[in-house]
Amino acid sequence: MDLTTAKQQLATASATHHEPSALTKRRLAALAAFKTLALPKMPKLKFQTWPFFERQPNLTWTGAAAFDLAPALEEQVRLTQVGQVTLDAHVPAALKDQGVLLMDLFTALQTVPDLVLKFLMTVVKADENKLTAHHLAYLNAGAFLYVPRGVKVTAPVEINVTQDSTQPHQPLIHHLLIVAEANSQVDVIQHLTTQGDAANPASLMVEIVAQANSRVTFSSLDELGAQTVTYFKRRAQIGRDAKVEWAVGMMNAGNTVGEMDSELIGEGGEGDSKLIAITTADQQVGINNRVTHHGQHTTGLINQRGVLLGQSRLVFNGIGEIIHGAHGAKAEQQNRVLMMSPATRGDANPILLIDENDVEAGHAASVGPVNPVQLNYLLSRGIPKPVAQRLVIRGFLAAVLTAIPTQRVREELIAILERKLTDGQA
Amino acid sequence: MMATLEVKDLHVAVTDEETKGQKEILTGVNLVMKTGEIHAIMGPNGTGKSTLSQTIMGQPGYQVTQGDILLDGQSILAMPVDERARRGLFLAMQYPAEIQGVTNAEFLRAAINARRPADDQISVMAFLKKLDANLALLDMSESMTERYLNEGFSGGEKKRNEILQLLMIEPTFAILDEIDSGLDIDALKVVAKGVNSMRGANFGSLIITHYQRLLNYIVPDTVHVMMGGKIVKTGGPELAKQLEKEGYAGLRDELGLDIQLVDEQH
Ligand SMILES: Nc1ncnc2c1ncn2[C@@H]1O[C@H](COP(=O)(O)OP(=O)(O)OP(=O)(O)O)[C@@H](O)[C@H]1O
Ligand SMILES: [Mg+2]
Repeated sequence: MDLTTAKQQLATASATHHEPSALTKRRLAALAAFKTLALPKMPKLKFQTWPFFERQPNLTWTGAAAFDLAPALEEQVRLTQVGQVTLDAHVPAALKDQGVLLMDLFTALQTVPDLVLKFLMTVVKADENKLTAHHLAYLNAGAFLYVPRGVKVTAPVEINVTQDSTQPHQPLIHHLLIVAEANSQVDVIQHLTTQGDAANPASLMVEIVAQANSRVTFSSLDELGAQTVTYFKRRAQIGRDAKVEWAVGMMNAGNTVGEMDSELIGEGGEGDSKLIAITTADQQVGINNRVTHHGQHTTGLINQRGVLLGQSRLVFNGIGEIIHGAHGAKAEQQNRVLMMSPATRGDANPILLIDENDVEAGHAASVGPVNPVQLNYLLSRGIPKPVAQRLVIRGFLAAVLTAIPTQRVREELIAILERKLTDGQA
Repeated sequence: MMATLEVKDLHVAVTDEETKGQKEILTGVNLVMKTGEIHAIMGPNGTGKSTLSQTIMGQPGYQVTQGDILLDGQSILAMPVDERARRGLFLAMQYPAEIQGVTNAEFLRAAINARRPADDQISVMAFLKKLDANLALLDMSESMTERYLNEGFSGGEKKRNEILQLLMIEPTFAILDEIDSGLDIDALKVVAKGVNSMRGANFGSLIITHYQRLLNYIVPDTVHVMMGGKIVKTGGPELAKQLEKEGYAGLRDELGLDIQLVDEQH
């Protein structure tokens, strides 16, 4: 398909979907950029040949596969999506009255187009790389969460997205846009799963706008299927005295390239980026976890822990960047991977890019097998090897696990972890 | 039911890290222990006491070149360390490992449950009851059990924690290797109280110590003296007192042994 035909296809599909023309225009610009831009950079991982997009991408709209869904309780804040279809979006009346919005992204583009277009793809720019450009051009699913100034959402906002891979040629290109206005507060729990075994790529983006003095926690349980090749990009723009906490459980079974970004724009902002990854079989995963300090007296923490099973490959790049002028910034990072078998290959690379003097920066990294002294101590108390290994792994992950704000997410993550370890050891 | 632990003509070698050569440490140890009995082993530094305890437990790095270790008549040499533990052996470590992220309580439960069938795991209530009783006995604070396993524990706290494990796991045979080293006098009494509470027809213990004082608190039935990689003399509690007075050189000369002691001038 040449560019002209591709543009026509895209414009038509966008129009039939009743999208604001401003979006169509941005899609077309992104498409042009997609043709020329390069893939993102990920030190130490070769992923250039992975099928992140269809050979001839095109934008289509499909209905949902059958799905069982328990009705939401009145106090629940919940959005459920299967493939491109939003099955429910429930916001308690009290929050609605305060102006909180939680809805399908395309519904939002029709009902509150100016609000969405003001923020959509401003935290992440479409022309950053080939995959971000592809994302906007062929964006086909998404959600919008809006928390107005001063509103505190106390119940966690649950966002459940199921990739519909019951059919081939159905890439999931999903965008979650979160806008937390000044002095607001919200906890988001995202859960990603795959239904079906067809090989479809996923391009998943989360943009968080955390305005002055807001508090946002974003937890994600990523459990996409083995046949899904994933690119995810999650970035928060963190304003003055705002705080964003990420807690990601990267439990995808398929090959994944992920980028986590915390942009500390305003003075006194804080970004805390925690991530756990478990890789199995011949899976390959690379994560860039970056905190960029623009503002003065900003604090950035990165803590990543990975466990490698089977013959898997896992790369953690922790990137702490302090821009010139960010006086008094504090950047700490830890990247650790535990290799459960000699056939695995793990990497943990701390990268510090510092262009200011009066700052604090530190890093710790480790790559290696289970500590034999610890394992032996457990064995000598009669604990069988598989149980002992799981205890040591749990211990290894504890620093990040215990920091996950919601107990339910913590428990679910542990359950997934146990399952992966049991399968991986079998 | 009475159980027996028997060490028969045991020869053990280790691989010297530098020369890569084999070095024989135990040169024919013979020992029979039954439940209901407490044995003590004393002996000069470097004579192989820890080697014996590690080998009985099945720790890696010790090669049995001759002889056997039998539990109730069955050789355990082929069993890995965790299986030996489940069969009822316990070794209180000189240097227990620290494990971040695993709480003491979680670890204790896993250890207890490892010895129970899958369909009869200890209930939370029963576990807590037992834990509370043993914490009280050892004068330990409850907070110790929610802390990560041995992490940041003082030397004495680690030793107490080893005894707590002993009381919780209730092994058939416990080997206590220098459980008294580094303990203040109060802690020593507490540890002795813990071990004595285990005393009975279903429990046997092998206590390795350098100090006769511990044996005033845990009175052994039998005392063995180990020198040059084997047991050279066996007697009652009075043997420990004799050693305290006369030292190892006296005993060596009395027995006419040709052994160099570590702290002697060459
Ligand atoms: N893994 C090893 N590699 C090399 N030598 C070893 C090893 N383990 C033990 N040895 C040596 O074996 C000898 C006996 O050591 P062991 O620790 O058993 O003595 P011990 O009787 O417990 O002494 P102590 O009273 O000082 O604790 C020592 O000379 C020691 O250096
Ligand atoms: Mg010793």
